[in-house]
Amino acid sequence: MTTETQPQTELTFRPDVDICDCGNEVLIVADVPGANPGAIDVSFDDGVLSVHAPVAARTLSGRALQQEYGIGDYCRSFKLGEGFDASLISAECRRGVLEIHVPRLASVRPRKIAVRTA
Amino acid sequence: MSLIPFRTKRATGMEPGSLATLADFRNEMNRLFEGFFSRPLQMPAWFETVEPGQWLPSIDVSETDKQIHVRAELPGIEPNDVDVSVSEDRLVIAGQKTCAKEEAGEGWTHRESHYGSFSRAIPLPEAVDPAKVTARYDKGVLTVELTKSPTSTSRKVPVLAGST
Repeated sequence: MTTETQPQTELTFRPDVDICDCGNEVLIVADVPGANPGAIDVSFDDGVLSVHAPVAARTLSGRALQQEYGIGDYCRSFKLGEGFDASLISAECRRGVLEIHVPRLASVRPRKIAVRTA
Repeated sequence: MSLIPFRTKRATGMEPGSLATLADFRNEMNRLFEGFFSRPLQMPAWFETVEPGQWLPSIDVSETDKQIHVRAELPGIEPNDVDVSVSEDRLVIAGQKTCAKEEAGEGWTHRESHYGSFSRAIPLPEAVDPAKVTARYDKGVLTVELTKSPTSTSRKVPVLAGST
């Protein structure tokens, strides 16, 4: 699996992600603080999962004394390859963290083989 | 697995392109010098030490005539796990971020997020009223609004004319 990033505007950021290969699925957990869950776009096309999480512009109150992070949309793509069921991909965003579950096709899921005694 | 990073948010000290002109650069240098000489005994934020296993959330600080606003990026935190305390001249944001999916065990193949305890002491530019502080957590961002203490209002000092 390969992760790629594609800047769309100058103020586009790559979110930090954790990736878990859970056997039956791949779980992607992305930090998207400030993103509106209803506006997040998750798409899967030709083996590439793409995430675009828009963030509203900074509404500065008064004079800035310290700015340690930039404000912009989060964008990131993941090249997952074959063997995933696009119709069952699900995503949930809570408290600034986006979780994407990408299930594997039943035919490629790891399976435990029972060994019978003769 | 390979990564092709183009811009990391945490490494960004300011908005990209914000020093587009020489005037912007001069203003930024003036701001840095002003901050250094007006608060010589305070360590800059990037000088804060981090204990092993801890991390520092990124913050924004701004002020108006009556209030100080602090925003901290804290994705994935339960509001009850954040401790906000304030004295007259210092705001402390501390807490713990746990991985909700830790049961996946060794399945994690790639990790970039910060987990564990965090603590950030933020020196305030003016004294505030500890009784008038509000904190709100929404979409992974903590916003703290502090009201400046009326006793700390600035005073204009008249310059007396000498005899010569």
